[in-house]
Amino acid sequence: MNDFSFLFFGGCALAGSLLVALMPRLVHSAFALVLALLGVAGLYWTLGSDFLGGVQLLVYVGGITILFIYGIMLTPKDATRWSLPGLVLPGFVAVVPVGVMLHLAWKGLEASLHATTTLEPVPSTATIGEAFLTRDQYLIPFELASLVLLAALVGSVYLARRRKES
Amino acid sequence: MDAILARYFFVGAAMFLLGIFTMVSRRNAIYVLMGAELILNAAALNFVAFARYGAAARGPAGAALDGSMFAIFIVILAAAEAAVALGIVLQLYQHFPSIDVSKPNRLSD
Repeated sequence: MNDFSFLFFGGCALAGSLLVALMPRLVHSAFALVLALLGVAGLYWTLGSDFLGGVQLLVYVGGITILFIYGIMLTPKDATRWSLPGLVLPGFVAVVPVGVMLHLAWKGLEASLHATTTLEPVPSTATIGEAFLTRDQYLIPFELASLVLLAALVGSVYLARRRKES
Repeated sequence: MDAILARYFFVGAAMFLLGIFTMVSRRNAIYVLMGAELILNAAALNFVAFARYGAAARGPAGAALDGSMFAIFIVILAAAEAAVALGIVLQLYQHFPSIDVSKPNRLSD
């Protein structure tokens, strides 16, 4: 069961990322991003992080994607073509590290196909909630995160407002 | 149990590479931001996979929670980043009639 869900959600994540990188139109890439983010949410569930999967669904799939679509609608559709000529030299340099990385990852993937020991999922929401409100654990980062979000909210409203014509 | 980590690494590594490729292969600012989201997701996936099947899962009880916590903070910061970055993109569009990231070449009017 876990193998199947890993293959399904991992496939969603990979196919979505591939489509984000390759789709010729901006809106199509934005919807492919939804597929990739859904796949990652599912992978969190296969890893037993049910709360995190829900957060990913709400914040990424529900929020950030909408933000991107508004961004696409509010801006011109320019420069969406490949700019490949400038990539020849960096691509040439990157071939070796990327090849080594993918080779190692692929060897690991082959080894993991025989592994069958997966852990049973445990509900994590209550533990995470307590950790957020315990002073010795994550209370201060939690409060600072709310400050960061407030600052980002005010800052983005200030940045995105239309300047008066002068 | 470590072998099962590798399959999540494969997905994470592939997503990371595709994110980098998306960022560098297009000059549209929205594509660059989408690539950044893919990269952040790949990193968060690695954190959670390590917390579940890595050494932390066999350590003290609180250690297994840290991976989820890192991923939650990554999600929080990614939300803030996306909002601010899209605000900057809109502002870019008002100053230069384009969101081509290679066009802006001055900081003031």
